[in-house]
Amino acid sequence: MEKEILEHGLNFNRRRFLSRLSLGLGSAALGSLLIPDLFGGGSADDESFTPGMPHFAPKAKRVIYLFQNGAPSQQELFDYKPKLREMWGQEIPPSVRGTQRLTGMTANQKEFPLVGSFVDFKQYGQSRAWVSDLMPYTAKVVDDLCIVKSMYTEAINHDPALTFLQTGSQQGNRPSMGSWLSYGLGNENKNLPNFTVLLSRGIGNGQGVYSKLWSNGFLDSIHQGVQFSKGEDPVLYLRDPEGMDRKARRDMLDNLAQLNEMGYQEFGDPEIMAKVKQYEMAYRMQTAVPEVMDLSKEPDDIIKLYGPDCLVPGTFAANCLLARKLSENGVRFVQLYHQGWDQHGNLPFEIAKQAKDVDQASAALVTDLKQRGLLDETLVIWGGEFGRTSYTQGKLTKENYGRDHHPRCFTIWMAGGGIKPGIVYGETDEVGYNVASNPVHVHDFQATVLHQLGLNHEKLIFKHLGRRYRLTDVSGKVVHDIIA
Amino acid sequence: MQKKLVNLAEQGLFASVVFILFLLVFENKIAIPVWLQPFGRMHPLLLHFPITLLLLAVLMEAFRFYKAYAANESYRIFSRNLLLVGSLLAAVTVIMGLFLSKEDGYTGSVVQWHKWTGAATFFLAALLYWAQQKRWYSRVVAQTGSVILGVILLSAGHYGATITHGADFVLAPLTKNQTPEPVDIQQALVFNDVIKPIFEQKCTSCHNPDKLKGALALNEPEAIQKGGKSGALFVAGKPEISLLLRRIHLPVEEKKHMPPSGKAQLTPTEIKLLALWVKGRAEFNKKVVDLPATDSLRILATTLFSPTELTEPEFAFDAADDETIKELNSDYRTIAPLSKNSPALSVNLYNKASYSPEKLQELSPIKSQVVYLNLNKMPVHDADLKHISQFENLQKLDINFTDITGKELNQLATLQHLESLALSGTQVKFADLKNQIATFKNLKTVALWETGLTDAEINQLQKAYPRIQFIAGFNGDKSEPIRLNPPQLGNSAIFATSTVVQLRHPVKGVVIRYTTDGTDPDSINSPLMDNKMVITGSKSIKAKAYKDGWISSPVATFDYYKNSYKPDSSTLLLPLSPVHQAEGVKSFFDHKLGTFNANSPAWANNWLGVRKNDLVLVSEFKKPVSITSVELRTMIEPETSIFPPSLIEVWGGNSRDQMQLLGTAHPAMPIKGSSPVLKAIGCTFKPHTVSYIKIIAKPLAQIPEWHSNKGNKALLLVDEIFIN
Repeated sequence: MEKEILEHGLNFNRRRFLSRLSLGLGSAALGSLLIPDLFGGGSADDESFTPGMPHFAPKAKRVIYLFQNGAPSQQELFDYKPKLREMWGQEIPPSVRGTQRLTGMTANQKEFPLVGSFVDFKQYGQSRAWVSDLMPYTAKVVDDLCIVKSMYTEAINHDPALTFLQTGSQQGNRPSMGSWLSYGLGNENKNLPNFTVLLSRGIGNGQGVYSKLWSNGFLDSIHQGVQFSKGEDPVLYLRDPEGMDRKARRDMLDNLAQLNEMGYQEFGDPEIMAKVKQYEMAYRMQTAVPEVMDLSKEPDDIIKLYGPDCLVPGTFAANCLLARKLSENGVRFVQLYHQGWDQHGNLPFEIAKQAKDVDQASAALVTDLKQRGLLDETLVIWGGEFGRTSYTQGKLTKENYGRDHHPRCFTIWMAGGGIKPGIVYGETDEVGYNVASNPVHVHDFQATVLHQLGLNHEKLIFKHLGRRYRLTDVSGKVVHDIIA
Repeated sequence: MQKKLVNLAEQGLFASVVFILFLLVFENKIAIPVWLQPFGRMHPLLLHFPITLLLLAVLMEAFRFYKAYAANESYRIFSRNLLLVGSLLAAVTVIMGLFLSKEDGYTGSVVQWHKWTGAATFFLAALLYWAQQKRWYSRVVAQTGSVILGVILLSAGHYGATITHGADFVLAPLTKNQTPEPVDIQQALVFNDVIKPIFEQKCTSCHNPDKLKGALALNEPEAIQKGGKSGALFVAGKPEISLLLRRIHLPVEEKKHMPPSGKAQLTPTEIKLLALWVKGRAEFNKKVVDLPATDSLRILATTLFSPTELTEPEFAFDAADDETIKELNSDYRTIAPLSKNSPALSVNLYNKASYSPEKLQELSPIKSQVVYLNLNKMPVHDADLKHISQFENLQKLDINFTDITGKELNQLATLQHLESLALSGTQVKFADLKNQIATFKNLKTVALWETGLTDAEINQLQKAYPRIQFIAGFNGDKSEPIRLNPPQLGNSAIFATSTVVQLRHPVKGVVIRYTTDGTDPDSINSPLMDNKMVITGSKSIKAKAYKDGWISSPVATFDYYKNSYKPDSSTLLLPLSPVHQAEGVKSFFDHKLGTFNANSPAWANNWLGVRKNDLVLVSEFKKPVSITSVELRTMIEPETSIFPPSLIEVWGGNSRDQMQLLGTAHPAMPIKGSSPVLKAIGCTFKPHTVSYIKIIAKPLAQIPEWHSNKGNKALLLVDEIFIN
């Protein structure tokens, strides 16, 4: 055996080396024709991404996403369509409807009569944006908002659409937007989780939200969304068990850390040290969380601003106030879900209550951030997973109607975080069924959000199971027109 | 034969020399007829032949006297013939080129250079051919002639290529990546930084002083104002009749459409920019920011300067040492660069208890790099401001809700770059601000919410310093009154023997008034809730919250339910509806009440439901109990087809097999238009001592006629059962 190795070494002489080398060089040169950047020295540096470090200086440092779960009807809130009222009861023209697929709920419906909004709209602020009478408080802050009327998505049912908006894929199992941001930006405050989730429920027809929506997917588990619930234990399992005081906890952690250190010396597994860090963070959270959750010191102005419901745990108003407090304390991504926007029927009654639930607190959050000088570094997003149809679902009567899911257009608004204030971007057609100008795909929206946080959506990647993953999958363009 | 051919060619060469001389001398007087133009246009097609042939010929001539070839007859003949053919082709090419140059668009210095080097190539080649036959043709002559001809030939080719491809064509891919320095919007000129780049990208490859197609150059203001062969480029203020825009708007198929088809076209935005520029009288020296804020040109131009990755803020200082940053980072002090390649740092401090002025002092190794400092809610005192003043490049300072009084604010005035100062929730005083704010040179926003400054004072500041935006924020005292939310229940609504009624309200200073007789409480007659009333039986209480400056709350109804006995075990004999399962049978006695909106989502609610079969529950008490009533708390919401049971039967006995009917109830059905309610319904009976009870509740089998869902089975929802 040794002889063969020796012979092989001897055979591997200079001539042979060079001739082989030429083959290698040749294929490398050939390869560079196929992959132009192969030898581009400069670009390689840009490609490398350091987790927790933005690609370029961010405009926004934090995000508060007021997710309106169930898909609020744009026709009743922001997308003013007088024509739709004129055409009340008329069948939707086939040219408008095109080949749009329908949900199982209206696929068998015989007629698709158009229905205008039961509520009136007015223009507000310097931007003269139209806002419905259901949103009087939001109307007052319209000059701080960028209303995007031309959002569109690919999914037609709640769960896939919601998952698509949050994770960039309809199927789930990918990291949520908050997890991506946590991965990309790192902690601002090491005593609180980077990505927190707050849930609330309105009076309207609701749809479920599941923890997969704040899953870290294939990213490290420290990027998972942490749900803060109402009640005595906002973060589960954080409290010391009965009979254990803070000193005992400290001693326990110190001893455990020593044992872990020994384990680390022996095996060298970095996960061990990651674990120690997480224990330490949980320990610090034991004091940081109660401080954040304490609403008793909020001044009266705040109670009036958000409305008295902000003192009732579990309401949307309370969650908005908490979101501000968490964000102010350096939590990168605060995700709210407010359920109850799925008005397939009985829309006029439900949506009024639903809007009342969120209107004051949503506007208050924008005002509150502004008066603390934080709005320019905090991006607030308000919107659902898709829009609703311009025709009625079910029976159309003078007083009552419903609207089905509609992916082709919906309205969201954004405020702060370097987004242009006081503008309306994109338009829908006269009956609010198709996007007429400046369409914004879900991936475009995600790319824009990442861009505001200093991240290039094409470079925020994670390699998993042999391929590179992005929040925006393989598409998405930053909407520069709405960036200040 | 061969000889004849050579002679013929030589004569042709001589004729060409004469003809070309003629063309050059009378260049200005010649007009090329249209039918000859295609001949001229074959110039770029043919020129490659003479270049190659002549290059080969001069190479061979250079080695003609080389020892090995000197005696070689065929080498000499081949070289000579090669030079002859090359010269002839050069002649044809030159003639074509001269014809072509008479067409539109061939003016400018590069064209001149090309013409003369091209002609020189031909003459030199002819001269070399003639000299070859002479006796004095020696090695020196051959080599010198070859080198000169070669050089001139190459330069003619170079100038020609510059005409068609533009200068720097070859090296452009390497040099192009050095993107021009981004221009600051504040400094940007409308022409220089908005219009000129469009010309440079799309027009000047043809319209430059070297090429001058249509006698037009678009690289300098003077040339642009001068216009071209077809006249002035634009009428200031009138884009619709300006030549520039007319050419651009012609259909692409039109010959005169610009840029010509096949070349990169203008984008709609670029066309719009050009039109707006002409409309605005085609100014050359105006700044973008000097235009009115609402001007379309300014708005459109501003988007060109919108922040992209290239406009990374630049800092004059160097990055701090990574190790130092790492050392200064702690659990309660986060120091992070703004981005991967930025030297600037952002610093956040958390946790009041761990704050001390030293936390700021310790940052002196990175004092030049800190541009953002967040001390929100930290116990920072006036004396600490001097530690903050060391951060010479600070741009944003957040000292909201700190303990500063504002007396020492001018400590911060040395911070030349400070743009944003957040003072909300501090004790700053108007007088201090008024005196000190003038010393801040670069300040743009100051947040003053919740500081005790009145709106009038903030307005006064705003007037005094118009360049700074003072944020007053929301003032609750001035807002329109807001409606209070209803009181809340302070304890469990279900009790075994007696309980104290406890109502509370989250807003401080609220009073609660209540009634127990079913009427709505009012603010005068109804008693104040003192949270001391003891009740021993089920009771319904109505309450309202009041506070000065607020609208009173809506009426809230609180039902207290007495439940004396909780069975030790229970079994459902028939299944529940698949959607309304709650947590199974134990939910009947878990003291968790359901609310309206049972369907959203059904599985996360406390309601147990049946529709297709009866609700049949058997419960066991290990110790016999004496009971007189059984009630089911149900939801009645006709709108969603949720109705009360049509019949309730309560059976009881001492063994599972021997039970007797204790009582029945036929609950009243809701009428059309009645509003949804949650209520306990059941029956009372004479006291019985039982170990087992069986409760049967039958869902309504046929929804009444008035209902849209008439004739179908109604849903029965129960969340709790009370046994007394």
